[in-house]
Amino acid sequence: MSRAEAALENGLCTCLCCHQLMRLPPGETRGRCTRCGATVHDRIERSLMLTWALVLTGTFLLVPANILPVMTVIYLGSGEPSTIIGGTLELYANGLWGIALIVFIASVAVPVMKLVGLVILLLQVQWRGPRNPMQSMRVYRVVAAIGRWSLLDLFMISILVALVNMGAIAEVRAGPGSTAFATVVVVTMMAVRTFDPRLLWDARYRRNSEPVEDWRAGGDREPAEEVGDG
Amino acid sequence: MQQGATDSASGWQRACHECDLLLGNCTAPPGGKLVCPRCAALINRNPARSIHYTAALSISGLLLFIPAATLPLLNFSIIIVGSENTLFNGVFSLFKAGYIWLASLVLFCSVVAPFTRFLLLAFISLGCLWGALDRPVSRAVRWYQHIREWAMLDVYMLGVLVALIKMQSLGKMVVESGLYCFVGLMVLSNLTLLSFDQQSVWRRMARRRAAAAASQAGEVTS
Repeated sequence: MSRAEAALENGLCTCLCCHQLMRLPPGETRGRCTRCGATVHDRIERSLMLTWALVLTGTFLLVPANILPVMTVIYLGSGEPSTIIGGTLELYANGLWGIALIVFIASVAVPVMKLVGLVILLLQVQWRGPRNPMQSMRVYRVVAAIGRWSLLDLFMISILVALVNMGAIAEVRAGPGSTAFATVVVVTMMAVRTFDPRLLWDARYRRNSEPVEDWRAGGDREPAEEVGDG
Repeated sequence: MQQGATDSASGWQRACHECDLLLGNCTAPPGGKLVCPRCAALINRNPARSIHYTAALSISGLLLFIPAATLPLLNFSIIIVGSENTLFNGVFSLFKAGYIWLASLVLFCSVVAPFTRFLLLAFISLGCLWGALDRPVSRAVRWYQHIREWAMLDVYMLGVLVALIKMQSLGKMVVESGLYCFVGLMVLSNLTLLSFDQQSVWRRMARRRAAAAASQAGEVTS
């Protein structure tokens, strides 16, 4: 794979909205897509800075999201506020381990995995370039695909708040942690959108300027071994 | 900026949107799909009769939205006291309790975004039949790209299931007719993800523009 096959090196860029290939005027990094009218950049503008900012915001907000209670179930006048992890443990204690696992994955594992994955990708772009870009792409795709499922807990809260609303007998109230958690989900979803995976491949070229693998020669898309180290 | 989808000097037609690899011919055979040879990103999926199916699915989605949003989804009762849940009243309760940001997020992801998505798809797939609507349709495609991932009917559905199981120990939970409509809506929404291919919209527009140019040239010469 030679650098010449990157569209950027040929002065071309892709509209991220309609995927049209365009030639930008020399010296320009942005323009307007002639087909769909979206603004086109050679790479997403200030991608790393924005992604770092959003990832850090998400990380800080994860603390109140997990410490503050998200929901209070009051049954016959008694009930304690429960946090996200507390809610999962309660489900597990009631023997509903399947549901407990789903809720745990969606609301505890996914936000953490997303943040960790994005930090890994950002460090790879900024430091040395990925050893195995296919692996980084896999991380990127998983992070992009799982993000929306974290809202599961919030939807459940909104359903229960309306459903269990019988005054003295039983009541479900939302807690302040849910606001922080909602913000974490939104912020991390936006962070994935602002990260430009093409930067990974640019960093790959920087790390390893000579041709490494030839995808046309063999069926194997993964580089068989690393040639050269930086 | 240079016009056109093809860079005539080099013959490249497209670059992978995830790894920037230049590619030649990038239209999948009908019913098939193309992936990037380097990073395995999905370059193009070419569903058969994309525009027709999308039009049908999105209009049925819009119609199904009426019962799904107005009928109750679940009914929960303890002894004799019961209450119902619709798509909206959870949002209202959160709003009344002061969780404005959370309420608007839930409202956006479970009602506004899915509805707008169906509306945009219906507009795109019907509007691309008329040349006069080219500009609004391309704007609608752009909006569709932005709103697509915020429509979370499937996540909401899982939320309903979790709520259903979680509250079973407290009282009696009954599934109401609205939930069946909601499941249908979710299925339709996921089917439009499969059927819609924006490249067929662009191809149709380009074809019409070429035909118009040809007929105009014919009038000039005759």
